[in-house]
Amino acid sequence: MAGMIVTTVFLPLIGAVMAGVLAFFAAADKATQGRLDRWSQWLTCGPMIGSALLALFIFRDVVAQDNVGTVELFTWIDSGALEVSWALKLDTLSAVMVLTVSVVSALIHVYSIGYMRHDPSIPRFMSYLNLFTFFMLMLVTADNLVQLYFGWEGVGLCSYLLIGFWYDRPSANAAAIKAFVVNRVGDFGFALGIFATFLLFQSVHLETIFAEVQGKADATFNVFGGEFHALTVICLLLFVGAMGKSAQLGLHTWLPDAMEGPTPVSALIHAATMVTAGIFMVARMSPLFEYSETALAAVTVVGASTAIVTATIACVQNDIKRVIAYSTCSQLGYMLFACGVSAYSAGIFHLMTHAYFKALLFLGAGSVIHAMSDEQDMRKMGGLRKMIPVTYAVMWAGSLALAGIWPFAGFYSKDIILEAAYAARSGVGGYAFWMGVAAAFLTAFYTWRLLLMTFHGAPRADETVLAHVHESPKMMLLPLLLLAVGAIFAGYVGFESFVGGEAAAFWENSILVLPVHKALENAHLVPGWVKVLPMAVGVAGIGAAYAMYMVLPGLPGVLAERFQILYRFLLNKWYFDDVYDFLFVRPAFYLGRNFWKTGDGTLIDGVGPDGLAAATLGLARRAGRLQSGYLYHYAFAMLTGVAVLITWYLFHRAG
Amino acid sequence: MDAMLLEYLPILIFLGLATAISAIAVGASFIIARQRPDSAKASAYECGFDVFDDARGKFDVRFYLVAILFIIFDLEVAFLFPWAITLGKIGVFGFWSMMVFLAVLTVGFIYEWKVGALEWE
Amino acid sequence: MPIAEVPNLIPALPEIFMVTVAMALLMLGVFQREGDGAATVQTARWISYLGAITLMLALLLLLTVAGGRLVGFSGLFVSDSFAVFFKTLVLIGAAMAIVLSPAYLEHQGIARFEYVVLILFATTGMMVMISANDLISLYLGLEIQSLSLYVIAAFQRDDIRSAEAGLKYFVLGALASGMLLYGSSLVYGFAGTTNFDALAAVFHAGEGNAPALGVIVGIVFILAGMAFKVSAAPFHMWTPDVYEGAPTPFTAFFSVAPKIAALALLVRIMIGPFGELVDQWRQIVMFLSIASMVLGAFAAINQRNIKRMMAYSSIGHVGYALIGLAVGTEAGVQGIMVYMAIYLFMNLGAFACILGMRRGERMLENIGDLAGLSRTHPMLALAMAIFMFSMAGIPPLAGFFGKFYIFLAAIEAELYALAVIGVLASVVAAFYYLRIVKIMYFDQPAEPLNRPIGREIAAVLLASSLIIVFFFAYPAPILAAAAAASATLF
Repeated sequence: MAGMIVTTVFLPLIGAVMAGVLAFFAAADKATQGRLDRWSQWLTCGPMIGSALLALFIFRDVVAQDNVGTVELFTWIDSGALEVSWALKLDTLSAVMVLTVSVVSALIHVYSIGYMRHDPSIPRFMSYLNLFTFFMLMLVTADNLVQLYFGWEGVGLCSYLLIGFWYDRPSANAAAIKAFVVNRVGDFGFALGIFATFLLFQSVHLETIFAEVQGKADATFNVFGGEFHALTVICLLLFVGAMGKSAQLGLHTWLPDAMEGPTPVSALIHAATMVTAGIFMVARMSPLFEYSETALAAVTVVGASTAIVTATIACVQNDIKRVIAYSTCSQLGYMLFACGVSAYSAGIFHLMTHAYFKALLFLGAGSVIHAMSDEQDMRKMGGLRKMIPVTYAVMWAGSLALAGIWPFAGFYSKDIILEAAYAARSGVGGYAFWMGVAAAFLTAFYTWRLLLMTFHGAPRADETVLAHVHESPKMMLLPLLLLAVGAIFAGYVGFESFVGGEAAAFWENSILVLPVHKALENAHLVPGWVKVLPMAVGVAGIGAAYAMYMVLPGLPGVLAERFQILYRFLLNKWYFDDVYDFLFVRPAFYLGRNFWKTGDGTLIDGVGPDGLAAATLGLARRAGRLQSGYLYHYAFAMLTGVAVLITWYLFHRAG
Repeated sequence: MDAMLLEYLPILIFLGLATAISAIAVGASFIIARQRPDSAKASAYECGFDVFDDARGKFDVRFYLVAILFIIFDLEVAFLFPWAITLGKIGVFGFWSMMVFLAVLTVGFIYEWKVGALEWE
Repeated sequence: MPIAEVPNLIPALPEIFMVTVAMALLMLGVFQREGDGAATVQTARWISYLGAITLMLALLLLLTVAGGRLVGFSGLFVSDSFAVFFKTLVLIGAAMAIVLSPAYLEHQGIARFEYVVLILFATTGMMVMISANDLISLYLGLEIQSLSLYVIAAFQRDDIRSAEAGLKYFVLGALASGMLLYGSSLVYGFAGTTNFDALAAVFHAGEGNAPALGVIVGIVFILAGMAFKVSAAPFHMWTPDVYEGAPTPFTAFFSVAPKIAALALLVRIMIGPFGELVDQWRQIVMFLSIASMVLGAFAAINQRNIKRMMAYSSIGHVGYALIGLAVGTEAGVQGIMVYMAIYLFMNLGAFACILGMRRGERMLENIGDLAGLSRTHPMLALAMAIFMFSMAGIPPLAGFFGKFYIFLAAIEAELYALAVIGVLASVVAAFYYLRIVKIMYFDQPAEPLNRPIGREIAAVLLASSLIIVFFFAYPAPILAAAAAASATLF
């Protein structure tokens, strides 16, 4: 058991190192390069698939036999009160995450073999993917906050590397930097949260913290002269971290740009796994969040707002991947406000189903892009359903799941979230419910907009592109089909265990919900219209999309013309990027340039290295000029020297 | 201290006398003597110098060579006088010291003769 | 009367031997003169060998005679382990210079045997300086040395730069000698004696009272005269011109032997007779030291001619060595001795490298001519790099330890400012040493130099670089000798 989890986590690291070594070999010719590429693919996919299979066993062990516990590897830091170990924590929550991450990752690895076939640096790509998986597994099995932070930063690094994978594209570099910098804002909060936790509990070990949290429920911190409820401060700080990683409103701007990375990366990191780390973290820290109503309310409001705001943006985007990216933000919002109303298990449930169907959608989109010779603009697609039927079919499955249509996966998880929000019977719960319903309508709308613009209607691409349209190779279709299975059945299969009657036995101690928070229990008792409403708005959304893009294709244009201000507002993503650019980026650049040119260049370099060097040269030149070559100058210098020495001496004695 | 410095009083007196005599000699020749140059007086000296000429003029370095070699032996003789007077007091060691000194000088002399420093051409 | 007694000649045996042989060689050479140019060259060559052998025999004699503190010539001359240490260095330096000379001189067409005799006389003068125990014998040794060196500097008399070097050296040297003599007479006038031991006793007796002003002025003048000989700023002006103008092997000789001898003399006179007055003269020595270090560091940066650069470098090195004197403690003196021993080998090695720089019929003296040397002459470049790194004071080469002991002594004596300035100056100086390494290893190769560089040069290079590289492995002999020698002064 212990060996199994260790193997699962570290297999990807081994793969990453081996492929990484291969990445440093420059092949002399095509054939050698091909051999290197194949080796790297084997070396990474093999461990990954092994990891996924082991994860299945682990999941069964944990769920069926309650084989939970912690595997201590070795001590990491032992300094005063701070003791941190490398340890793998295994309970239901981490088992679910390990399973989801490793299975999706394995499928995407296989998909990448096909998708990245023409790329010149396959070993590097495969190495990064494997490394990412390792960090992600490290994150979800963390047994203390510092190790969690290690995984957290590790996936952030891999995300940066993979967004900027095509480093010869300026836009990719910019997106990578943006993702990294925006995440730093969140990570800063997270780090402060960890410090605050240590301050309060004198430990970063999760078990220790959870055991003591009840006793500290009323503790306070003195922050900037004001007394604050300690757990609220900690939870809000941790939540800032979650906001950054999970692209919540305010810190969400990096996620759509992150689509500059290769599509498998978007599917793996920016849809299925890494961005859900925030939700995982909130669920993992549920024993803390439970004691802070303020923090829970903040989580709910931010999550719900993100869900609706990003859904509105998704409705007007034209880049196929950006639509899905905004959709991801929106869905992450759902998960968060589920946590906010203490329905953590519902959030995790949606996390899992979402991982399957969103990965499916991304990979499907990748397949479309692959078929369209790297075209991503939906306005130049259309009518592809006959040409790539398999992709078309799996995209349908993914879309139905996303829109929350019975019996697809999304239906179960989204429904339970909305019901829980309603059942929370609080102001923020109500806000979340109505925003969630509205977002559900928009979700269905933009999903079908995507589907219809891409696959239906008349082809809008030019001849040469159309001539090349082809179904993707089996290597790519196989993962699509497997994910489609997940997208179809994951909800139905998991419902009872995750949020149904068996939930208590399933989750055991891994998630804590205080008795006063009854949202999830009551979710099953909500009125009938609440149960029906999400599905109904979903169907309405589909209908609206069908009406606008199939029945009356001119309507979107008219609407955009009519409500130009609104349209522009949405198209420009609520002007988040522009405001940030004005508020932070430009001042930062201005400051930086000033520090660079004036502070460093003129002041420090000018006085320091450059100034010293110039002064040295000047002195050297002057010293050289003393050497005139005239004998009487030399003699004069000697006599002056003696005179100076004696004079100095006389005065020295006198004084 | 003063007693020791007193020993050097003769030197000071000599210094003063030397200055005075040379000043008197130069000054008197200007004041008393008749300044009437003729062709014989104004013609070049035997050594080849013009009587009235720029002090920085070039001339054959061999004049100096000869002069320097002469000075060495001149000093040798000057050194011999006190030695000769005190020979009775300084004994055998004093005698041989001067012999060694003379031998060293002779070595130098042989060298200068051999390399041809004494020949004009 | 004590005058008539036969003095103890034993302590001066090596010097007497050297002078006798030098005169014998002079006679030998001059009687071999008959014949054509080739015969002259031949004579010069075997007299060179004889000269080198003489120096080695003198060294042997020196070590045989040595033991305790031997005083001769009625206290005018002293031979102690301090003197033996420095004389050894001087003899080795002179021998190596003679070994390096014939090839260069033959090439320049000035292969005349007299230089051997001159070097022998100069070396004798240095040995007398080192052993001087009286202001009179000090001056005697100094002049024997100086007069020979003036002639050597102008040895290539058809070359205008060499003649200029000789003349400048002579005129300024005479001025310095005058200062020294004036200082000596002042000291004698106020102290009433010229003997070092007697002077020490006089100042010791007057301890507590400030010494007469005349004595201090006299010391300043003596210091100035000595500073000229060791080429410490601001009495250094002659150094670059003379080093550049003199034939290169003689420059190598100038840069080591007279400097070592004059420094030994300076240490002896300052620590011995004027040791009681250390508080009076420390500031002056510090001034000389700082001025030399700073000038040596800065002025060398702009030099194009490698011999000029080495001149400034040697000024800087004297500055470092003077730190040890300013400290005025046993550790300081030991530091000086170690420093000069190491300096001897790095400097001779560097000059051997310069002597190896020849392209076609021309000797090269520009730093730029070293470009790309690592590719055309890897071994020569490696040796040069070793010497440059050592001079810059990069561990584990010997030069580092030289500086280390000096700075250590300064720190122990709480002369922090001096140590800090020394370290800063050596940072600046590192620039021009390392620039040579950079030029040799990273610049585009110029036309290759002639090869082979010659057996004598190769031998000197090998010996010096081995000593510089492996000093750190077995420093005990030099350290122990320096410790024992410096102890005799206190």
